Order: sequence, then structure tokens, then C-alpha cells
Amino acid sequence: MMNKFKISSFRLRIAFLSASLASISVVFFGVFSWYLTYNAKLSRLDALLANVLTMPLLHNIAGLNQIYLDNAIKTELDLPVYLFAINPDRQIIYKSPNWPANLQIDQLWQSFPKLHHPAPPFLTGTDTPSNQSEKIPPIPIFYTKQTGSVAWRIGLIVFPDIQIATILNLQVVNEELSVIKNIFLISIPLTLFFVASGAWILSGKALSPIRDLITTIEKVNVTGLAQKIPPNQSNIEFSKLIEVFNQMLERLDRSFKQAIRFSGDAAHELKTPLTILQGEVERALIQVEMGSEIQQRFSTLLDEIQRLNSIVHKLLFLSLADAEQINLQRENIDVSSLLLYILEDIQTLAPHLETEIKISPNLKLQGDCDLLTQVIQNLLSNAIKYNLSKGWIKIIAYEDKKDILINIVNASENILENEKELIFERFYRRDICHCREIEGTGLGLSIAKEITLAHGGQLTLDNSVSNQTSFLLRLPKEEDF
Amino acid sequence: MNILYVEDELKIANFVRTGLEEQGFVVDYCNNGNNGFTRALDNEYDVILLDIMIPGRDGVSILKGLRQAGKNTPVILLTARNDLNDRLDGLNLGADDYIAKPFFVEELIARIYAVLRRALGERQNYLIAGPLKLDRISREVTCLNKLVELTTREFNLLEYLMRSPGRVFTRTQILSHVWGYDFNPSTNLVDVCIQRIRKKIEPIASFGLIESVRGVGYRFRNDE
Repeated sequence: MMNKFKISSFRLRIAFLSASLASISVVFFGVFSWYLTYNAKLSRLDALLANVLTMPLLHNIAGLNQIYLDNAIKTELDLPVYLFAINPDRQIIYKSPNWPANLQIDQLWQSFPKLHHPAPPFLTGTDTPSNQSEKIPPIPIFYTKQTGSVAWRIGLIVFPDIQIATILNLQVVNEELSVIKNIFLISIPLTLFFVASGAWILSGKALSPIRDLITTIEKVNVTGLAQKIPPNQSNIEFSKLIEVFNQMLERLDRSFKQAIRFSGDAAHELKTPLTILQGEVERALIQVEMGSEIQQRFSTLLDEIQRLNSIVHKLLFLSLADAEQINLQRENIDVSSLLLYILEDIQTLAPHLETEIKISPNLKLQGDCDLLTQVIQNLLSNAIKYNLSKGWIKIIAYEDKKDILINIVNASENILENEKELIFERFYRRDICHCREIEGTGLGLSIAKEITLAHGGQLTLDNSVSNQTSFLLRLPKEEDF
Repeated sequence: MNILYVEDELKIANFVRTGLEEQGFVVDYCNNGNNGFTRALDNEYDVILLDIMIPGRDGVSILKGLRQAGKNTPVILLTARNDLNDRLDGLNLGADDYIAKPFFVEELIARIYAVLRRALGERQNYLIAGPLKLDRISREVTCLNKLVELTTREFNLLEYLMRSPGRVFTRTQILSHVWGYDFNPSTNLVDVCIQRIRKKIEPIASFGLIESVRGVGYRFRNDE
């Protein structure tokens, strides 16, 4: 949300993180070592410059032994060192004979530095004895000055009457340093690349037990909760995870089985008392006087018992479906004639509805006839129950390459979008018309769906057209698995 | 007709037994599997009714034992266990029929007759009540020797009522037998269907054969 570029892959994130960590440290190290090298070079040069500077102090500048000087510098460093001296009026008193032609002394000065110290006696010619402070030799100042493309290192010594400067072309140093810089410029990306790919491979290796775990868990989901993940001996960290996960699976499995068994057991336990109740009331019904008030009561009782039976039967069926233990008694079914047989009831049940029936002949499939009849009956009775007062029903059955499709469409009030999935939920009842009592348990559609699924088919609701409800039952002609 | 009935639930056994005896069956009742098995081996019964969940040998094991011992007495399994799986098991093991609890005694009796007929290898299977003759095999109904055209539903409903003339059935009972266990759109369906049958039969018979019992349901007229 905030961070658009958040990397969703853990592996990529680890590689990226370690690469950036490595790059920060490498860059820091590079900059730091470059700085140190540069400084060391400079201080060496400075020492050289200072060395040269002190020479004119020992010799009269005019008589400076240039050859000695040049030699001295050359032996120290394979670099040309130049020397000049100016007076306070910025007049050049001395300039090395090998002074580069294109270099202006003015360019090396920014401002005339303040003069702290009197000139040494041999320069001024006076022989006044100096006081204590004057005895301290002046400290050379070092700085770098850029003229055009060339950088100069300048060592300057300042006396009241004279300033002496030694200058040195830094180009060589810079060249040397740029080699180092180039090494860094090549090695840093290389290092980064190696670190990043190393981290990528490492994180991949680190994640591989998790990938294995995922594959195993996927298998567990397919084959059921009773499956266990085989313990991983080689990684203690993951074996703990697997252990915890297995424990969770076991608990889930237990409670899932318990829930299934509970409804199954409850339904089963209800059957015995229901059998007794039904049997006794059935007997009572035929023993009392025909048409008497007591017989009417018994008949009401019997109806209620049967309703209970029907609910128990449905619950038991659903618990079987949950346990994936629906056994289909497959036989060859002629869907066309089965449909026509069931559709006989529309005329009887709902003579007020307009009906349109289009059934392709010879639709045949393998399936459990009783259960599929139940599905079609359920869809049909819903189409009648939830119809409008002057509504219609349309039943179309046809086949495509693999499936037989039965489409049951009826006029109805609109089914809301959020009801679309709820309608298949257990005990869900549509609260549409308060003026009319609609019988049913709210289990019919969920059972129909389970039966369809057990046949490898699909039952879907299409509510896209307003004022109509359309259920599409898709059943494979031949079972694939 | 001798029937061996193995069932541990006494209250169920009571009304089943009474119901069967009222129909003229001689019922040998037994409340545990071991006894049941010995009796089944030692005696000749026409039909054996076996509850599956009983103390001692369970119903399925008795059935297996009997078939292994070469006894081919027709067996009907009664059970409250999960319907579909037992139906499969039972029929595969050689049971002749299967009935799930809760059941109507009426239904059980009809099944017993069906199993007996099959065991006797009857080629003809008629149901005669008053002027009506119903052929279960050709699925034809004649009234005073005149053929009556009935739809499948109408035939099934008429057969159900004709099985027990004089006996009243509630609309729900008829509905669940003729249309199926879980189909419960409205009991109106039964009324409409009955009206249709009446319209087809009564002009021929010239009197009412299916009687309404007010507030209860319908019954086939019993002239005896």
C-alpha cells in the first residue's frame, strides 16, 4: 500500500537485503581506503615539499643549487618539483628554471596570506638577533589548488618579507589514485553481483525444506487430514516445525472426524426411537375408528414423524458426504425418460404455471438413479415453490461432448448476489415472501449439490437475468475417476 | 408362513411382530445373533428378517454364515446404520432385500411378499381387489376386464393402496412411497393424483373404489 515496490518474494528480499548490506560496506570500505591512500600520498608529498622548502632556508636563493635540488627531488620521487618566491608586493623574486610554461604563478595564489614571521636573516641581509619566538622556524602550509585540469599541491612558507612555495603536479598521484578508483569501480559491482547471487542461492537452499514442506502439505490436503508429514531428520529447525504441524493436523483430523461422527451418530441414535414411534403410531392409526378425530390426530403425528425421519435421513446423508463416504450405485440411466417421468408432476403440482420443456432424446449416463432423481426433484420443487403467482418454468436438457446438461429456469423474485453461494448452505432458507409459508428443511439444495459432486458434476446457480432463477446441472456422461 | 425375526430392540420387535402376526405370519422372535444363527440353521423358515446391529453375531455375519452353510432362505436386512453402504454390503452378501429404519410395517410386509414371490419363482403376479386386477409384471390394470391407462405414478399409487385394502394411508405416507423419501413439495400432489385415478376407474366400475378418510388420507375400499 505505502510501499509500492515491496518485494513479495522472501528469497528475493533476502538476496536484495544482503546485496545492499554488502554494497554499503564495500562502498564504505572503498571510500575510506581511498581517502586514507590519498592522504598518505599527500602527506608523503607534503614531507617532500617541506624538505625542499627548507633548502632555500639553508642556502641563499640566488645561489640555490638547482641541480642538487632537482636531483634531490627526483631521487625522492619521480616528479618535477618547482619552486618560487615572491615578495609582499607579489613580485616574483625567484622561479625554478624548469617552471612549466603555461603555469601562471598568480593562479596559485588566492589571497596573499598574512605574514607572521620576519624573514630569515640570510634573506633580508640584516643580522639582528631574533627573540625567542622568532627562533621558531615557520610552519609550512599545504594546500591543493586546481588550475584548469591540473591540480597542484602547494607547500608555502610565509615570512614577513618573502613567501616561498614549492609546487608539485598532483596529476601523477591522481592517476595512481584513479587506478585504485577504477579497481574499486570494477570490483564493487562484481562483488555485489557475487554477493547477490550467493545470497540468492543460499536463500534458495535455506528455503528448500520449506518448499518440500509445502509439497507435502499439498498432498496432505488432497489425501485428507489423516496424512502425516514425514519427519525431516537433517534440519532440526524444520523438524520442530513439522512436528508442530503434524500435531495441528492430528487435532484438526480428530475434531473433524468427531464432528462428522457426531452428526452421523446422532442421526443413527435418533433412528431407533423414530422407528418405534413410527411403528406404534402406524399401528394406532389403523386400529382406531376410521375417520375419527383421534385418527386425524394420529395422522398428524405420523406426518410429523415422517418429517423428522426425512431430516434425520438428510443429516445422515450430509455427514456421509462430509466423510466422503457416499457410495454410488451406478447404473445406466436414460436421463431423457427419467426427466419426462419426473416432469409429469409439474402439471399436477403447478397447473397454473406456463411450462416449456425441451429434452433431447437419448441422453444417457452412468449414475445413481435414486440420488439423481432426488436432485432433479429438488430443483423442480424449488422451481415451483419459489415461482411467481403467474410464472413459468423452462426445462432444457441437452448434451455436449462430455456432459449432460440440465437447465431448470423459473420466474422468481431476484436472488441477491450475496445469496448466490448461501443458497447451497445447509439450513439456509430464502426469506422472500412473508405472506406464504414455504415448506422445506433448507437441506435440499446442499444435498443436491453433494450428490452432483459425488457424480463428478457441477450444480450452479445463474441469477444474472432479473426476475428469473436458473440452475444448471452438469453431469459427466462417463465417470473420469 | 414362518418368519425368523432377529432384533435386539424390544420395542421395535413388539410392533413388528404384532403387525406380522396380524397378517397371518408365524413369527419366531430372537433377540441376539448367536441364538438367531443356530435357529436359522436348525429350522426351515420362509423368510428371515435380520437386524444388522445386534448383540452376538451381527446380521451381516449371520447372513454370511447361512450362505456358506448352503442355506438359501430369503433374507431381508433391517438396519439403522448408514443406509447406502449397508445397502451395498447387504445386497452383495446375498441378502434378498434391504429395509432401512425407520420403516413402516406395511412396507416390510410388502417386501416380504415380494421376496417370497421371487423365491417361489412366480411368473404371474396379480393383485386383485374388487373389480380391479393389477399385473405387477406387465404393469397393466384392468377394471372389469377393461384396460385402464395409468401413468407410472398412478400405477404405483394404486398398487400401494391395493396392497392393503381397507387400510388407511396418510398423504405423507403415500407421497414418500410413490414419489420418494425426500420429495416433499406438497401433499396436494397426492390429492390430484388420486382424482385422476378415480376419473379413469370409476366410470368403469360405476362406484368409488378409493375412499377419502377425512383429515387422514385415503384407503382402498374393502368389500370383505
